[in-house]
Amino acid sequence: MQELCIVASWPAVPVEIVRAAGFRAVMARGASGPTPAADAHLEPGIFPSRLRHLVEDVLAGRLSDAALIVIPRTSDADYKCFLYLREFVRKGLATAPIVLFDLLQSRGAEVRNHDVARTRALLDTLASRSGRMPSADDIRREITRANAARAAARRLVALRRIVPRVTGSAAFRLLAAFWEMEPDRYVEMANEAANRIAAGPPLAGPRVLLTGAPVDGQALHEAIESHGAIVVAEVGPWGSSAAGDDVPLDDDPVAALSDKYRTDSIGARTPVDSLRGWTARMLEDVDAVVVSLPPDDAVFGWDYPALRDVLKARRIPHVCLRGDQHLAPTPAEHVQLGAMVSAASQLQETRRG
Amino acid sequence: MADKQLDATRAASAFQKQWFADLRRRVFDERQPYALLQADVPFELFDLMGVAAVSNQWWASIVAAKRQAPRFLDAMDADGLHGDLCRYCSLGYASTRYRGAGDPPWGGLPTPRLLCARLTCDCIHRVFQLWADTFGAELFEIDHPGAGDLPPRWWELGRYRWRELVEPHRLAFVVSTLENLVERLEAISGRRLDRDALRARLELVNRQEEVFDAARRLIATAPECPVRMTEQITNVMATQWVRGSEWALAHARAFHDEVAERVHRGIAACPGERARLMWIGAGLWHDTGFYTEFETSHRAVFVWSMYLAFGPDGYIRYGLDDPMAALASRTASFNEYLHNPPWAADWIVHQAREHRINGALVLRPRSMKPAGTGRFFIERALEDAGIPVLPIDADVVDARGWDAHGARAGVRSFLETRVLQ
Repeated sequence: MQELCIVASWPAVPVEIVRAAGFRAVMARGASGPTPAADAHLEPGIFPSRLRHLVEDVLAGRLSDAALIVIPRTSDADYKCFLYLREFVRKGLATAPIVLFDLLQSRGAEVRNHDVARTRALLDTLASRSGRMPSADDIRREITRANAARAAARRLVALRRIVPRVTGSAAFRLLAAFWEMEPDRYVEMANEAANRIAAGPPLAGPRVLLTGAPVDGQALHEAIESHGAIVVAEVGPWGSSAAGDDVPLDDDPVAALSDKYRTDSIGARTPVDSLRGWTARMLEDVDAVVVSLPPDDAVFGWDYPALRDVLKARRIPHVCLRGDQHLAPTPAEHVQLGAMVSAASQLQETRRG
Repeated sequence: MADKQLDATRAASAFQKQWFADLRRRVFDERQPYALLQADVPFELFDLMGVAAVSNQWWASIVAAKRQAPRFLDAMDADGLHGDLCRYCSLGYASTRYRGAGDPPWGGLPTPRLLCARLTCDCIHRVFQLWADTFGAELFEIDHPGAGDLPPRWWELGRYRWRELVEPHRLAFVVSTLENLVERLEAISGRRLDRDALRARLELVNRQEEVFDAARRLIATAPECPVRMTEQITNVMATQWVRGSEWALAHARAFHDEVAERVHRGIAACPGERARLMWIGAGLWHDTGFYTEFETSHRAVFVWSMYLAFGPDGYIRYGLDDPMAALASRTASFNEYLHNPPWAADWIVHQAREHRINGALVLRPRSMKPAGTGRFFIERALEDAGIPVLPIDADVVDARGWDAHGARAGVRSFLETRVLQ
């Protein structure tokens, strides 16, 4: 871990502010490896892989060089993780500096003001760590740079939809890099990739939407695509929605960022109607749907019956997977995926006449 | 289930049944509005505005106690809702959404005018939105800003220095949300909230909880526990849903006086008591007989649960110049008090010492994910304090996976090998 980096537990922390304060943003991601130290404190079936690995890293001292660990309040598991980490520090089990970014996402009239104030508080905290308080122009500059990166990411997203020219596994890697890569480098990398992809042929195979709990890795993409399908969109902040819309260059750039992250951050506390709208738009251009509901899911499973009914009405085949998103699907799940892709292929052929 | 030992318990049970019958009559016959609330919503505001309020958790406990939960939960499963989703907070929804699957107690819930929930756990927004959609009713959400500063010994700060217990921005946020809730209630009821009446109500809540505090001291200090934990819960929770009302205060006093009389006369819940146990977590509503199972065989009695203890420590607020702020300070951190480090573990160890606890049974809830957090911290803190811990894997409303015999055998072994040595 290099100095001057801020580790965030979920991409709901404004990277523009992190960069304006002089830091590099690093996001916690899940993995398939063991987490024995974390397992002694984190109850099973509650915390997703990314938080288990984050806690493992903290307890092992691997994040001791991080300037700050920022935990956004965008899921209950993240909030509990913050409280646990705080307790480890209190008890001398860890030394990492930790802060809660209390970003709320409900629709109450008082939520916006709260979030703007908490975003300013985060900026103050970051500035005190770096000794550098960015001006409004500094923040606008970072917004401009990030917006350029968003535009490049949106080009990649466009090349996945309707007539896909890139696999979901490859696209996911490119889009996920939005959060951690320097914006100027990201623009260059993403545009190069977009040019290369655009020049290539369209990909055959049924187009799959990956929904349910957001994924933060491409293991499921790879499993689905091993059956000849193409993942053209996935719910969550790492893939299709990594970039989203631009942040407006307002008089108050901190408020603009707060608004952007409150409304666009996708996670367990995103209002259900936002996700329903996004899913409805995605269903226009897909041939099959995979719903991932891992064992730690407490939220997205509630959406499943309504989604299943929509899919049934529209005759879109789907599979519901209950495994850890970072582990390979079971043989039985592969059989299900294969059957789904086969059914979707037949429907695709029928539609094409 | 064991017979009730206290007259107050019989009165509390009768009151709840009659209260619900009256509610149905008022809703169906008199077209009065009522609201369905999560347990941690400030019920006082609804009562003052003339909107009767039913607790989701209370209703779930009634459905489970009447052995109706499995049918509704089977219907949830059949509809594709996976088994790791919270059953406690959603059983009420299931009893509405899949009404034909079972026989809801006492005629079932009528359609509410409003549903209201604090967004503590992530699932609450989903469950309550689905429930509101099923009823065609309005949903009001109280968001839950996270606590960044958790000063030690919250149960002492909360009474007089409650402004120090909740960070100013969190307090301001909850006050603002409660004011918006009041606006909605005023629109529904056509009444204006009387702030003096709110202050007076909170003063009565203080009186009620002081009475329970005195009852708790009696239970903690009596040579033998004078009242079973299950009866403590019945008496406390019957009053909590209508807290600060004349009946609640009168009933709290009747309960206290009966407990005091039992202590005075040397009457124990389990004469010859050899082990004092505490239960950590929500109640095992589908098998409350579990809590009295070990009295005869091992002279082991459950003495403590959060239900009586949390009232005095979590609700009393002195200094009511700004009653809405006082109410908000109580509302802001329920989850942190009861489940999360450092607050939950510190409080529970303190309570265990006060109550001379010999062994603790800690619920490992199967599906209630947020309520399942903090357990390892609590278990470790108790063991470090010299109090043996037995984790109990169970769902509080879902009896389908409950191994009643196995769990009882586990407790017997725990008592014999770790508590009664």
